[in-house]
Amino acid sequence: MSHLSEEQLDQLIAAERSRVEEPLNSWRTIAARAREEGLIRESERSRFWRSGEPWLRAAAAILLLVGGIGIGRATIGLPSGTTGATASTAVTDPPSNTAAAPASISNTNPSPASNISFASVDEASAALDRAVLEYQRASQFIAANNLSARTSDSAAVYRARAEALDKIVNATKSALQGAPHDPVLNQYYLATMGAQAATRQVVSVGLRGF
Amino acid sequence: MSEMPFDQLDLKRAIAGDERAMQRLWSQHAPHIDAVVRRLCGDPELAADISQEVWMQIFRALPSYRGDSQFGTWAHRIAVNRTLNALRKIRRIAKLEIDIEDDSAITEMDSDRTFVAESIEQAMGKLSPGARAVFVLHDVEGYTHIEIGEELGITPGGSKSQLFKARAKLRKLLAHLVDESPNIAGKGKGHVASV
Repeated sequence: MSHLSEEQLDQLIAAERSRVEEPLNSWRTIAARAREEGLIRESERSRFWRSGEPWLRAAAAILLLVGGIGIGRATIGLPSGTTGATASTAVTDPPSNTAAAPASISNTNPSPASNISFASVDEASAALDRAVLEYQRASQFIAANNLSARTSDSAAVYRARAEALDKIVNATKSALQGAPHDPVLNQYYLATMGAQAATRQVVSVGLRGF
Repeated sequence: MSEMPFDQLDLKRAIAGDERAMQRLWSQHAPHIDAVVRRLCGDPELAADISQEVWMQIFRALPSYRGDSQFGTWAHRIAVNRTLNALRKIRRIAKLEIDIEDDSAITEMDSDRTFVAESIEQAMGKLSPGARAVFVLHDVEGYTHIEIGEELGITPGGSKSQLFKARAKLRKLLAHLVDESPNIAGKGKGHVASV
Protein backbone atom coordinates (compact mmCIF):
# COMPACT_ATOMS: atom_id res chain seq x y z
CA MET A 1 0.00 0.00 0.00
CA SER A 2 1.25 3.49 -0.87
CA HIS A 3 1.67 6.11 1.79
CA LEU A 4 0.16 9.54 2.08
CA SER A 5 2.76 12.16 1.22
CA GLU A 6 3.98 14.56 3.88
CA GLU A 7 2.19 17.38 2.06
CA GLN A 8 -1.07 15.45 1.96
CA LEU A 9 -0.80 14.71 5.65
CA ASP A 10 -0.22 18.42 6.32
CA GLN A 11 -3.42 19.20 4.44
CA LEU A 12 -5.35 16.77 6.61
CA ILE A 13 -3.80 18.30 9.72
CA ALA A 14 -4.75 21.80 8.57
CA ALA A 15 -8.33 20.65 8.08
CA GLU A 16 -8.32 18.98 11.49
CA ARG A 17 -7.01 22.17 13.08
CA SER A 18 -9.88 24.21 11.68
CA ARG A 19 -12.55 21.63 12.45
CA VAL A 20 -15.11 22.91 14.88
CA GLU A 21 -17.38 20.64 16.87
CA GLU A 22 -19.87 21.29 19.57
CA PRO A 23 -18.56 21.38 23.15
CA LEU A 24 -18.13 18.10 24.95
CA ASN A 25 -20.57 19.08 27.70
CA SER A 26 -23.64 21.28 27.95
CA TRP A 27 -23.46 24.52 29.87
CA ARG A 28 -25.95 23.10 32.38
CA THR A 29 -23.45 20.37 33.26
CA ILE A 30 -20.59 22.81 33.63
CA ALA A 31 -22.75 25.29 35.54
CA ALA A 32 -23.93 22.60 37.96
CA ARG A 33 -20.33 21.75 38.81
CA ALA A 34 -19.39 25.40 39.12
CA ARG A 35 -22.36 26.04 41.38
CA GLU A 36 -21.40 23.07 43.57
CA GLU A 37 -17.93 24.53 44.01
CA GLY A 38 -19.26 27.97 44.75
CA LEU A 39 -17.74 29.42 41.61
CA ILE A 40 -21.13 30.70 40.52
CA ARG A 41 -22.58 33.22 42.91
CA GLU A 42 -26.00 34.52 42.10
CA SER A 43 -26.41 38.25 42.50
CA GLU A 44 -29.64 40.00 43.45
CA ARG A 45 -29.85 41.18 39.90
CA SER A 46 -29.49 37.75 38.34
CA ARG A 47 -32.00 36.33 40.82
CA PHE A 48 -34.38 39.03 39.67
CA TRP A 49 -33.98 37.94 36.08
CA ARG A 50 -34.13 34.27 36.89
CA SER A 51 -37.25 34.28 38.99
CA GLY A 52 -38.79 37.72 39.11
CA GLU A 53 -39.93 38.26 35.57
CA PRO A 54 -41.31 35.16 33.89
CA TRP A 55 -42.75 37.18 31.05
CA LEU A 56 -39.27 38.40 30.15
CA ARG A 57 -38.03 34.85 29.86
CA ALA A 58 -41.06 33.95 27.76
CA ALA A 59 -40.35 36.94 25.54
CA ALA A 60 -36.74 35.85 25.33
CA ALA A 61 -37.81 32.37 24.28
CA ILE A 62 -40.09 33.64 21.54
CA LEU A 63 -37.57 36.15 20.27
CA LEU A 64 -34.78 33.63 20.38
CA LEU A 65 -36.68 30.95 18.54
CA VAL A 66 -38.22 33.15 15.86
CA GLY A 67 -35.14 35.30 15.38
CA GLY A 68 -32.71 32.48 15.89
CA ILE A 69 -34.43 30.28 13.38
CA GLY A 70 -34.40 33.12 10.92
CA ILE A 71 -30.67 33.54 11.47
CA GLY A 72 -30.14 29.82 11.33
CA ARG A 73 -32.07 29.24 8.15
CA ALA A 74 -30.23 32.05 6.49
CA THR A 75 -27.00 30.62 7.84
CA ILE A 76 -27.55 27.18 6.44
CA GLY A 77 -29.03 28.27 3.16
CA LEU A 78 -32.61 27.05 3.62
CA PRO A 79 -35.69 29.01 2.61
CA SER A 80 -37.47 30.90 5.35
CA GLY A 81 -40.92 29.91 6.61
CA THR A 82 -42.52 27.37 8.91
CA THR A 83 -40.87 29.13 11.78
CA GLY A 84 -43.83 28.71 14.07
CA ALA A 85 -43.92 24.95 13.73
CA THR A 86 -40.19 24.65 14.11
CA ALA A 87 -40.15 26.93 17.11
CA SER A 88 -42.74 24.96 18.98
CA THR A 89 -40.93 21.74 18.16
CA ALA A 90 -37.71 23.12 19.54
CA VAL A 91 -39.41 24.00 22.80
CA THR A 92 -41.37 20.84 23.34
CA ASP A 93 -39.09 18.10 22.09
CA PRO A 94 -36.83 16.43 24.62
CA PRO A 95 -33.13 17.02 24.25
CA SER A 96 -31.17 14.65 22.11
CA ASN A 97 -27.79 13.26 22.97
CA THR A 98 -26.18 13.19 19.59
CA ALA A 99 -25.54 15.59 16.79
CA ALA A 100 -27.42 13.30 14.42
CA ALA A 101 -30.62 13.42 16.37
CA PRO A 102 -31.87 16.79 15.15
CA ALA A 103 -32.38 15.27 11.72
CA SER A 104 -35.46 13.56 13.06
CA ILE A 105 -36.93 16.70 14.54
CA SER A 106 -38.49 17.84 11.33
CA ASN A 107 -40.34 14.55 11.07
CA THR A 108 -42.02 14.81 14.43
CA ASN A 109 -45.42 16.31 14.93
CA PRO A 110 -44.95 19.83 16.09
CA SER A 111 -47.10 20.93 18.99
CA PRO A 112 -48.96 24.19 18.70
CA ALA A 113 -47.44 26.92 20.82
CA SER A 114 -50.69 27.18 22.75
CA ASN A 115 -50.16 23.67 24.11
CA ILE A 116 -46.88 24.60 25.78
CA SER A 117 -47.26 24.80 29.51
CA PHE A 118 -44.73 24.93 32.30
CA ALA A 119 -45.18 24.33 35.98
CA SER A 120 -42.49 26.74 37.04
CA VAL A 121 -40.03 29.32 35.84
CA ASP A 122 -37.22 26.85 36.38
CA GLU A 123 -38.98 24.32 34.15
CA ALA A 124 -39.48 26.93 31.44
CA SER A 125 -35.86 28.02 31.82
CA ALA A 126 -34.68 24.44 31.44
CA ALA A 127 -36.81 24.08 28.30
CA LEU A 128 -35.31 27.27 26.96
CA ASP A 129 -31.78 26.05 27.60
CA ARG A 130 -32.59 22.76 25.87
CA ALA A 131 -34.06 24.65 22.94
CA VAL A 132 -30.88 26.69 22.56
CA LEU A 133 -28.80 23.53 22.64
CA GLU A 134 -31.13 21.78 20.17
CA TYR A 135 -31.02 24.76 17.88
CA GLN A 136 -27.24 24.85 17.91
CA ARG A 137 -26.99 21.12 17.31
CA ALA A 138 -29.55 21.20 14.51
CA SER A 139 -27.76 24.10 12.86
CA GLN A 140 -24.47 22.26 13.01
CA PHE A 141 -26.02 19.03 11.74
CA ILE A 142 -27.67 20.71 8.79
CA ALA A 143 -24.53 22.67 8.08
CA ALA A 144 -22.59 19.43 7.95
CA ASN A 145 -25.12 17.48 5.91
CA ASN A 146 -27.02 19.87 3.70
CA LEU A 147 -24.92 19.41 0.59
CA SER A 148 -27.38 21.28 -1.60
CA ALA A 149 -26.51 24.49 0.19
CA ARG A 150 -22.93 24.33 -1.04
CA THR A 151 -23.06 26.11 -4.34
CA SER A 152 -20.16 27.01 -6.55
CA ASP A 153 -20.05 30.54 -5.16
CA SER A 154 -20.45 29.36 -1.60
CA ALA A 155 -17.06 30.69 -0.55
CA ALA A 156 -18.27 34.24 -1.08
CA VAL A 157 -21.56 33.40 0.59
CA TYR A 158 -19.79 32.02 3.63
CA ARG A 159 -17.55 35.04 3.87
CA ALA A 160 -20.55 37.36 3.79
CA ARG A 161 -22.35 35.18 6.31
CA ALA A 162 -19.38 35.07 8.65
CA GLU A 163 -19.02 38.85 8.49
CA ALA A 164 -22.72 39.33 9.22
CA LEU A 165 -22.59 36.96 12.16
CA ASP A 166 -19.50 38.70 13.50
CA LYS A 167 -21.42 41.99 13.40
CA ILE A 168 -24.35 40.46 15.25
CA VAL A 169 -22.05 38.99 17.88
CA ASN A 170 -20.33 42.36 18.27
CA ALA A 171 -23.65 44.16 18.52
CA THR A 172 -25.02 41.83 21.18
CA LYS A 173 -21.70 41.93 23.02
CA SER A 174 -21.79 45.70 23.08
CA ALA A 175 -25.37 45.67 24.27
CA LEU A 176 -24.47 43.19 27.00
CA GLN A 177 -21.98 45.65 28.43
CA GLY A 178 -24.89 47.78 29.54
CA ALA A 179 -27.22 44.91 30.35
CA PRO A 180 -25.13 41.84 31.17
CA HIS A 181 -28.04 39.94 32.71
CA ASP A 182 -30.65 40.65 30.08
CA PRO A 183 -32.04 37.26 29.01
CA VAL A 184 -33.06 38.37 25.52
CA LEU A 185 -29.61 39.71 24.69
CA ASN A 186 -27.93 36.71 26.23
CA GLN A 187 -30.00 34.23 24.27
CA TYR A 188 -29.46 36.15 21.03
CA TYR A 189 -25.74 36.23 21.74
CA LEU A 190 -25.59 32.50 22.43
CA ALA A 191 -27.78 31.63 19.44
CA THR A 192 -25.57 33.71 17.16
CA MET A 193 -22.50 32.01 18.57
CA GLY A 194 -24.16 28.74 17.57
CA ALA A 195 -24.76 30.02 14.06
CA GLN A 196 -21.13 31.12 13.90
CA ALA A 197 -20.01 27.64 14.90
CA ALA A 198 -22.29 26.12 12.26
CA THR A 199 -20.84 28.38 9.58
CA ARG A 200 -17.33 27.47 10.59
CA GLN A 201 -18.26 23.83 10.50
CA VAL A 202 -19.48 24.17 6.92
CA VAL A 203 -16.20 25.78 5.97
CA SER A 204 -14.33 23.09 7.86
CA VAL A 205 -16.26 20.28 6.13
CA GLY A 206 -15.76 22.01 2.83
CA LEU A 207 -12.03 22.12 3.45
CA ARG A 208 -11.93 18.46 4.24
CA GLY A 209 -13.99 17.72 1.14
CA PHE A 210 -13.01 14.10 0.80
CA MET B 1 -11.32 35.02 15.50
CA SER B 2 -9.53 37.70 17.44
CA GLU B 3 -10.63 38.33 20.99
CA MET B 4 -12.48 41.50 21.76
CA PRO B 5 -12.09 43.90 24.69
CA PHE B 6 -15.44 42.77 26.01
CA ASP B 7 -13.70 39.63 27.19
CA GLN B 8 -12.10 41.70 29.94
CA LEU B 9 -15.48 42.79 31.27
CA ASP B 10 -16.76 39.25 31.10
CA LEU B 11 -13.67 38.12 32.94
CA LYS B 12 -14.32 40.51 35.81
CA ARG B 13 -17.92 39.41 36.02
CA ALA B 14 -16.98 35.76 35.78
CA ILE B 15 -14.45 36.15 38.60
CA ALA B 16 -17.27 37.65 40.65
CA GLY B 17 -19.33 34.52 40.02
CA ASP B 18 -21.67 35.87 37.36
CA GLU B 19 -23.10 32.82 35.59
CA ARG B 20 -24.00 34.67 32.41
CA ALA B 21 -20.46 35.98 32.02
CA MET B 22 -19.05 32.52 32.67
CA GLN B 23 -21.42 31.03 30.11
CA ARG B 24 -20.37 33.58 27.53
CA LEU B 25 -16.70 32.80 28.09
CA TRP B 26 -17.47 29.11 27.85
CA SER B 27 -19.56 29.53 24.69
CA GLN B 28 -16.81 31.49 23.01
CA HIS B 29 -13.91 29.25 23.95
CA ALA B 30 -15.33 25.75 24.54
CA PRO B 31 -15.18 24.66 20.88
CA HIS B 32 -11.42 25.25 20.83
CA ILE B 33 -10.63 24.20 24.38
CA ASP B 34 -12.69 21.03 24.13
CA ALA B 35 -11.12 20.22 20.77
CA VAL B 36 -7.64 19.93 22.24
CA VAL B 37 -8.98 17.82 25.12
CA ARG B 38 -10.74 15.55 22.65
CA ARG B 39 -7.64 15.14 20.52
CA LEU B 40 -5.32 14.41 23.42
CA CYS B 41 -7.71 11.87 24.95
CA GLY B 42 -8.73 10.02 21.80
CA ASP B 43 -11.82 8.84 23.68
CA PRO B 44 -14.98 11.02 23.62
CA GLU B 45 -16.38 9.84 26.95
CA LEU B 46 -13.11 10.32 28.76
CA ALA B 47 -12.68 13.66 27.03
CA ALA B 48 -16.09 14.84 28.25
CA ASP B 49 -15.15 14.00 31.85
CA ILE B 50 -11.77 15.66 31.60
CA SER B 51 -13.29 18.69 29.90
CA GLN B 52 -15.43 19.30 32.98
CA GLU B 53 -12.30 19.29 35.12
CA VAL B 54 -10.57 21.59 32.67
CA TRP B 55 -13.38 24.14 32.81
CA MET B 56 -13.55 24.01 36.58
CA GLN B 57 -9.81 24.68 36.67
CA ILE B 58 -10.16 27.55 34.23
CA PHE B 59 -12.88 29.16 36.35
CA ARG B 60 -10.93 28.55 39.57
CA ALA B 61 -7.84 30.11 38.06
CA LEU B 62 -9.58 33.14 36.56
CA PRO B 63 -8.40 35.49 39.34
CA SER B 64 -4.79 34.63 38.45
CA TYR B 65 -5.22 35.56 34.79
CA ARG B 66 -3.09 38.68 34.28
CA GLY B 67 -3.86 39.37 30.66
CA ASP B 68 -0.26 38.79 29.55
CA SER B 69 -1.57 36.58 26.77
CA GLN B 70 -4.96 36.27 25.12
CA PHE B 71 -7.52 34.56 27.28
CA GLY B 72 -7.90 31.75 24.77
CA THR B 73 -4.17 31.07 24.81
CA TRP B 74 -4.08 31.09 28.61
CA ALA B 75 -7.08 28.78 28.86
CA HIS B 76 -5.58 26.51 26.20
CA ARG B 77 -2.47 26.02 28.33
CA ILE B 78 -4.61 25.06 31.30
CA ALA B 79 -6.51 22.61 29.11
CA VAL B 80 -3.33 20.93 27.92
CA ASN B 81 -1.81 20.72 31.42
CA ARG B 82 -4.98 19.50 33.04
CA THR B 83 -5.63 16.91 30.34
CA LEU B 84 -2.10 15.52 30.45
CA ASN B 85 -2.27 15.35 34.25
CA ALA B 86 -5.61 13.58 34.10
CA LEU B 87 -4.27 11.11 31.57
CA ARG B 88 -1.27 10.46 33.79
CA LYS B 89 -3.52 9.88 36.79
CA ILE B 90 -5.49 7.21 35.03
CA ARG B 91 -2.23 5.70 33.80
CA ARG B 92 -2.99 6.29 30.15
CA ILE B 93 0.42 7.85 29.82
CA ALA B 94 1.83 6.78 33.15
CA LYS B 95 5.00 5.58 31.46
CA LEU B 96 5.05 8.28 28.88
CA GLU B 97 8.60 9.33 29.62
CA ILE B 98 9.73 5.76 29.01
CA ASP B 99 7.37 4.92 26.17
CA ILE B 100 8.24 8.03 24.28
CA GLU B 101 11.70 6.67 23.57
CA ASP B 102 10.44 3.20 22.82
CA ASP B 103 9.83 2.49 19.12
CA SER B 104 7.48 -0.36 19.91
CA ALA B 105 5.11 1.99 21.70
CA ILE B 106 4.34 4.07 18.64
CA THR B 107 0.89 2.54 18.34
CA GLU B 108 -1.38 0.93 20.83
CA MET B 109 -2.61 -1.64 18.33
CA ASP B 110 0.26 -1.91 15.93
CA SER B 111 -0.58 -5.56 15.32
CA ASP B 112 -3.84 -4.54 13.69
CA ARG B 113 -2.41 -4.43 10.18
CA THR B 114 -5.79 -4.35 8.48
CA PHE B 115 -6.95 -1.16 10.17
CA VAL B 116 -7.92 1.61 7.77
CA ALA B 117 -8.60 5.03 9.26
CA GLU B 118 -11.54 6.97 7.90
CA SER B 119 -10.29 10.26 9.26
CA ILE B 120 -7.20 11.76 10.81
CA GLU B 121 -9.04 11.83 14.14
CA GLN B 122 -9.59 8.09 13.92
CA ALA B 123 -6.02 7.54 12.86
CA MET B 124 -4.75 9.58 15.80
CA GLY B 125 -6.68 7.23 18.03
CA LYS B 126 -4.39 4.45 16.86
CA LEU B 127 -1.29 6.19 18.12
CA SER B 128 -0.03 5.48 21.60
CA PRO B 129 -1.06 8.17 24.12
CA GLY B 130 2.49 9.52 24.21
CA ALA B 131 2.89 9.66 20.45
CA ARG B 132 -0.57 11.17 20.09
CA ALA B 133 0.29 13.84 22.65
CA VAL B 134 3.47 14.79 20.78
CA PHE B 135 1.71 14.80 17.41
CA VAL B 136 -1.31 16.79 18.61
CA LEU B 137 0.76 19.32 20.52
CA HIS B 138 3.24 19.90 17.70
CA ASP B 139 1.39 19.50 14.45
CA VAL B 140 -2.11 20.53 15.48
CA GLU B 141 -1.61 22.92 18.39
CA GLY B 142 1.66 24.48 17.27
CA TYR B 143 3.87 23.74 20.29
CA THR B 144 7.62 23.65 19.78
CA HIS B 145 9.61 20.55 20.68
CA ILE B 146 11.12 22.42 23.61
CA GLU B 147 7.65 23.25 24.93
CA ILE B 148 6.52 19.68 24.40
CA GLY B 149 9.58 18.47 26.25
CA GLU B 150 8.64 20.66 29.21
CA GLU B 151 5.02 19.50 29.15
CA LEU B 152 5.79 15.82 28.86
CA GLY B 153 9.09 15.60 30.69
CA ILE B 154 11.03 14.37 27.67
CA THR B 155 13.90 15.75 25.63
CA PRO B 156 13.26 17.84 22.51
CA GLY B 157 15.07 15.14 20.58
CA GLY B 158 12.71 12.51 21.93
CA SER B 159 9.80 14.66 20.88
CA LYS B 160 11.18 15.04 17.35
CA SER B 161 11.77 11.33 17.07
CA GLN B 162 8.29 10.51 18.28
CA LEU B 163 6.74 13.01 15.91
CA PHE B 164 8.58 11.55 12.95
CA LYS B 165 7.33 8.08 13.78
CA ALA B 166 3.80 9.25 14.49
CA ARG B 167 3.59 11.01 11.14
CA ALA B 168 4.93 7.97 9.32
CA LYS B 169 2.28 5.85 11.01
CA LEU B 170 -0.48 8.29 10.16
CA ARG B 171 0.62 8.44 6.51
CA LYS B 172 0.31 4.70 6.40
CA LEU B 173 -3.04 4.53 8.19
CA LEU B 174 -4.49 7.18 5.90
CA ALA B 175 -2.88 5.95 2.69
CA HIS B 176 -6.18 4.73 1.24
CA LEU B 177 -7.36 8.34 1.02
CA VAL B 178 -4.93 8.88 -1.84
CA ASP B 179 -6.78 6.38 -3.99
CA GLU B 180 -10.23 7.49 -2.87
CA SER B 181 -9.76 11.18 -3.45
CA PRO B 182 -7.26 12.87 -5.72
CA ASN B 183 -8.42 16.16 -4.13
CA ILE B 184 -5.84 15.84 -1.38
CA ALA B 185 -2.97 15.96 -3.80
CA GLY B 186 -4.62 18.69 -5.82
CA LYS B 187 -5.05 21.08 -2.95
CA GLY B 188 -2.66 23.76 -1.87
CA LYS B 189 0.03 23.05 0.61
CA GLY B 190 -1.29 23.09 4.13
CA HIS B 191 0.40 24.04 7.33
CA VAL B 192 3.85 22.63 7.68
CA ALA B 193 4.97 22.59 11.26
CA SER B 194 8.53 23.55 11.94
CA VAL B 195 10.57 20.76 13.40
